[in-house]
Amino acid sequence: MLEYRAYEQIERYLNGEMAIEEQQAFEALLHTDVRLAEQVREHKQLLDSMQKYGRRQALKQQLQNIHADMEAETMQASPGAWKVFWNRHMQTVAVAASVSLLSVFGTLWSVQQLKAPVQQQTARYVELRREVERLKKTQTAIINGINDASKPAPRAAAFSGTGFAISADGYLVTSSHVVEGADSIMIENKAGLKYKVSEVYRDEIHDLSILKVSDPAFSGFGKLPYTFKTNESDLGEKVFTLGYPREDIVFGEGSLSSGSGFEGDTTSYQVSIPLNPGNSGGPLLDDKGNLIGVISGKQAGQEGAAFAVKSAYLLQMIHELPASTTMAPMSLSKHNSLLGVSRPQQLKKLKDYVFVVKVYN
Amino acid sequence: MKKSLYETDEAVIEGIRRDDERALAYLYKLYFPMISHFILSNSGTDDEAKDIYQEGVIVFYEKTRDNSLELSCQIKTYLYSVCRRLWLKRLAEKGRYASKLEETDSFVQVEEDTSQHEEQERQFGVMGEALGQLGEPCRSLLEDYYINTQSMQVITEKFGYTNSDTAKNQKYKCLQRLKKIFFATYKPGV
Repeated sequence: MLEYRAYEQIERYLNGEMAIEEQQAFEALLHTDVRLAEQVREHKQLLDSMQKYGRRQALKQQLQNIHADMEAETMQASPGAWKVFWNRHMQTVAVAASVSLLSVFGTLWSVQQLKAPVQQQTARYVELRREVERLKKTQTAIINGINDASKPAPRAAAFSGTGFAISADGYLVTSSHVVEGADSIMIENKAGLKYKVSEVYRDEIHDLSILKVSDPAFSGFGKLPYTFKTNESDLGEKVFTLGYPREDIVFGEGSLSSGSGFEGDTTSYQVSIPLNPGNSGGPLLDDKGNLIGVISGKQAGQEGAAFAVKSAYLLQMIHELPASTTMAPMSLSKHNSLLGVSRPQQLKKLKDYVFVVKVYN
Repeated sequence: MKKSLYETDEAVIEGIRRDDERALAYLYKLYFPMISHFILSNSGTDDEAKDIYQEGVIVFYEKTRDNSLELSCQIKTYLYSVCRRLWLKRLAEKGRYASKLEETDSFVQVEEDTSQHEEQERQFGVMGEALGQLGEPCRSLLEDYYINTQSMQVITEKFGYTNSDTAKNQKYKCLQRLKKIFFATYKPGV
């Protein structure tokens, strides 16, 4: 009971409810009584603590209410789980995405850079049709003009290539790129025979064209000295060609260096014969005098890499001919007169059947 | 509630000093997204963000109320600094040391304020537990008298004591017990 009295006294003191004399007496007591002073201090701290605790609890409750209030306000616009995820990882995702984009395009770009020079070297295929110099044409015109002004100057051919006979009755073969865009085509051989021809069939895929002599004066080529090979030739076989890379006929010899052509094209051979513009459409023959292909082009910047379309595709085209046109089936030569003869003898027999193809446009 | 009422920091502080609940609510809603973003960017959850932010607001509120706040920056920066400090502490307690903190704003030094706040929190934690251990009706009796400052008459009636003397006696008994429990665990910080 005494203790409670003391408590009441302390509380009254702390609350400032004592009368002045009583307060002074109490303070004097505090100075002498250490235990009482300690008790007062503790009591004060306890009450302080409790009151502050109460206030803090109230404040927390208030903040909770505000928070709940705020959440209710934003409930309509409340972000879904995805939005939260996105907000949290937006930066990471952005960085990851940009890194991956950068690496993908960087790789593509650098690969492109590495490939570019190589491609430039390999990717150029040159068709061997000869462009007759413009200079010469104008020169002729001037000379003609001096000699006889009234006579129209004969036009020089714009392009030239090579062609060869495939049947006695006036059919020839050349590369289709030689006669591309032609107004008129003339053929001429070493013996001086000169005929006007027209294109009767064209196979752009295999770069082959069939020409027919349309001259009324034409009486036939005579018996062909060579035959056509139907199966593939072997690697390393000796091959040769005749062609007109210039005004005169030119012989070229080499061997069959690959069973496939430009960029793995299986319809043609690669041959190691030095060729020049004008050789296109020339015959490719093997040692025994079999026609194994038609010269079509070479690889730019690489020596000894020329290409010839395989004879099998030529034969295939010849067989397709009657079906697509009104022509009668062609009779191909069955007899080979080049077999077992020396090379110069072979060429002598052959050269009359190889023509320069002149294209005018 | 008109927003323009608390457009400046000074107005908000003035409002809090006047015990204007709307000022506190306005302040609370204004900066919650910023802190929430900060906590979420630094491996925290929504609940943790709310927790930390409320503590930060309490620090600011208390300092403002007892006029001990010397604000050398914007309220925004102050709140960010306090919450940043508290969150770093929380991360350390969880054993997760953020190698690099994702800063979303500039900050100032607030160690003194936060450590003072932590000391208080500790004290209030002990007080809360002590009151819990006290049990009823002692707890309600003390809370009604000291916290809610109700008069002895009201309390006497509410708890059904025969007269206010009995109530007073009961109150002192309770206080005595609380004192024992409280000081058994709480030692004032050095």
